[in-house]
Amino acid sequence: MGTIKRYTLYTLLMLIAITAFYSCEAKVEDPKQSKKKTVALIVRMKHGDYWRTVKLGAEMAAKEYDLNLNFYAPDYEEDSQSQMELLRQATLDGYDALVVAPSDDQVLQETIGLAQSSVPIITLDTEGQLPQVKSYIGTDNYDMGKKACEKMVQLIGKKGHIALVGTGRSTANAVSREKGVRDVIAQDKQVELVPVDYVQLDKKLIGELTRELVRHNPGVKGIIALDASTSIGVAEEIEKMGLQEKIKIVAIDSPPEVLEYLQEGVISATIIQKPFSMGYLGVKYALEASEGKQVPERVDTGTKVIDRDNMFWSENQKLLFPFVK
Amino acid sequence: MKRLLFGVVDAIKAKSIQFIITTSFTLVTVLVVLFVGVMLYSKFSDTAEQNAYLNTQQILEQVKYNLDSYLIGTTQIFELVDDKIRRSQSVTSEKLNEQLEAIVETRKDIVSIAVFSKKGELLMGTPAKPMRNNSKLTEQSWFRSAIDDPNNLSFSLPHIQNLFKGEYTWVVSMSRGITLKGENGDIPAVLLVDVNFKEIDDLCQRVGLGKKGYVYIIDLVGNIVYHPQQQLIYVGLKNENRSLPLKYSYGSYVDETEGEKRLITIKTVDQLGWKIIGVSYMDEIVTTKNEISRFIFWLLIFVIVIVLFVLSYISAKISRPIKMLERSMERVEQGDFTAGGPIRGSQEVEQLSSRFHLMMDKVRELMNQIIAEQEAKRKSELEVLQAQIHPHFLYNTLNSVVRMVGIGKNEDVITTITSLSKLFRISLSRGKSIITVQEELEHVRHYLIIQKMRYKQKFEYEIEAQDEVLSCKTLKLLLQPIVENAIYHGIEHMADPGFIHISASLCEGKVLFQVRDNGLGMSPEVLDGVLAGSYKSEGGSGVGIHNIHERIRLSYGEGYGLEMESEQEVGTVVKVWIPCLPDDAQEG
Repeated sequence: MGTIKRYTLYTLLMLIAITAFYSCEAKVEDPKQSKKKTVALIVRMKHGDYWRTVKLGAEMAAKEYDLNLNFYAPDYEEDSQSQMELLRQATLDGYDALVVAPSDDQVLQETIGLAQSSVPIITLDTEGQLPQVKSYIGTDNYDMGKKACEKMVQLIGKKGHIALVGTGRSTANAVSREKGVRDVIAQDKQVELVPVDYVQLDKKLIGELTRELVRHNPGVKGIIALDASTSIGVAEEIEKMGLQEKIKIVAIDSPPEVLEYLQEGVISATIIQKPFSMGYLGVKYALEASEGKQVPERVDTGTKVIDRDNMFWSENQKLLFPFVK
Repeated sequence: MKRLLFGVVDAIKAKSIQFIITTSFTLVTVLVVLFVGVMLYSKFSDTAEQNAYLNTQQILEQVKYNLDSYLIGTTQIFELVDDKIRRSQSVTSEKLNEQLEAIVETRKDIVSIAVFSKKGELLMGTPAKPMRNNSKLTEQSWFRSAIDDPNNLSFSLPHIQNLFKGEYTWVVSMSRGITLKGENGDIPAVLLVDVNFKEIDDLCQRVGLGKKGYVYIIDLVGNIVYHPQQQLIYVGLKNENRSLPLKYSYGSYVDETEGEKRLITIKTVDQLGWKIIGVSYMDEIVTTKNEISRFIFWLLIFVIVIVLFVLSYISAKISRPIKMLERSMERVEQGDFTAGGPIRGSQEVEQLSSRFHLMMDKVRELMNQIIAEQEAKRKSELEVLQAQIHPHFLYNTLNSVVRMVGIGKNEDVITTITSLSKLFRISLSRGKSIITVQEELEHVRHYLIIQKMRYKQKFEYEIEAQDEVLSCKTLKLLLQPIVENAIYHGIEHMADPGFIHISASLCEGKVLFQVRDNGLGMSPEVLDGVLAGSYKSEGGSGVGIHNIHERIRLSYGEGYGLEMESEQEVGTVVKVWIPCLPDDAQEG
């Protein structure tokens, strides 16, 4: 064998060796890089305890399952235009799974249109029945309406007239809640519902409506408000009129104002949702769905009836006051 | 490559040098690498685990230290407040109020300072904010513990402060019984200092144990003071086994109740008996271990592959020349003596090869020699035979016979024909090349009889032999050509009658034939030419003296052969030496 040939062989061997060595190195390093998934979370509003709590839950899940969480939210609720813009932004940023709380159907359709068929979509706090949506995570709003009404019936001694404020809204959530309320009343012959007009979601208009309501129906014993803003508006007006002893209010959700009124006794009870669980489970199931695992089609995160007696129980404190200030 | 493969397969079949070298070295290398790998793995993974344990311990120690010093700080504040109130004439005094306000302003973590009567009435509060309704303060834990055990400072669990209007804040309440000076003697009261929980919350939130690990705090009875996943636990999505950490104040153990292996480390805060519990996930520690083991595994494979490559190359380099040598030996075995040139390789193999080739050269030389000798022998024998049936001799003899018949010498005819037949009979002697000395002498005698007839008594002859030599063996037809020469070259041209004397005797253990004539003799130059075989006479049987000499030597070796002495005008003596080989096997 010639010397040149031999050196060629040695060089070749060295090359193979080095390549093999570095490929081993690469094999060790590679999987870590590609493993971390990205979940995009798009909610309805940047502010407000409710959506911030959703975000808190989502972040908890992101930390626990070691993934990237991209959070998008418009400045105002029910701003479907800017939510759609954020949706496009999220698509540009890239994601392995999409968790969205759409403001309306249009946004949901847009979501489905933008996302690739392989990317799982999970909706938060929105009723629906679309095949493209892997999982619905949120409150059973019908049940929430029922609970609110049952509490009210109990508060007024199972007899008398009550009013339902915040009806006629286009969102499926409000419709379900109203249905829940009406179904309970239909069973109970002694409790009657007074007719109430539909108003815009505006504090001043709600106040006026409440005043009109009380004036036209002096015998009304209770008011059920179907969402947080309406609850605050009604409570404010009732307190102003000094009727808090006479008219019971059952509210929805737990913004600080509702809790203040609850402790002061203006609001008798509120039905709270569990936004922390929504955020947490949304991200958790989004990850599992993106890994091809089976996820439940519908998840009810549950509701809880909070009144003055149990609002400071230690297990409720964290639900009502999620943020340490 | 293909050749290498076949080489390996061959090597495995028989335990060749290549196989032995490759397997043994590979085995040793694999064992060494495995050993080192296992050692490294256990060392590395031990260290990784140790580090993880230590790291967790240190982090928890730090949390504990921070928490301790924070609590000591707030306790000091509480004592300060307590002291100021005790010294003050009245809880409502302007001076006290100012002092307390200063404290609340400088210490941002103090939310409020308040003194309550035993019935829960607010006696004094800083900052001065209106009370909320429905706060149920007398039912709250801080109030009850201050009433039950007024001399002990108690820390409450983090809770929402609902006493004063404004924001709801998370606080830890410090409370103790206090005695105020009143107009009608001492009034027992409760001093409350609410500390913002945010500081503790931040402290714990900042702590990370790996990617997923976390720290939580429980109080003496297992209530959660801080837990990053507190909401999940209350909702029931998560579960934290709090009973086991309660039993220990210090130490760590591995918990598997939540499905995953988790390392639980516990420290206790001296001040309150709160337990700081670190939860690190074992799979994160194990990941390091897995990485190490994977790395070592690939390293092992890599080393084995390289070693196999190098070894198969080296062993092939060592064993190939040996194989080549073996192959050329095989060819020799099959009869090819020209096989192979020198083989390059290690020193030993090269020497072996050169020795082998030297040996082969020798063998080849000897073989050639043998072949040449055999050929020469056959040729000379053939020549002798040809000489016997030389047509010229036969024609001359028969001519003489005819002449004798013509003159009517019937007796001579009979003699001649009888001799001729005997002569031929012995010449042929059934194809044997070895006959007895007696037969040889008989043969010469018949030849001489015939020649004497032909040459009309131009010479006389005499044959004598010792009895011992008669039965000895000899090559046949040795003497006839010599006698023929003596007649043709020595006696024929001589004027006087010639004499040929033939004797066979035992001399120095050898058989010696002597053919002596008194013919013309030869000059020394001719003598040398005859002996060397270069001199070729005209006529005659063509069997040279030299041929006879060669035949003897080929058959019997160097010590035998012809010797010639000649002197011109005196005569020639030819001595034929052959070994004395008794005719033991009497075969017809």
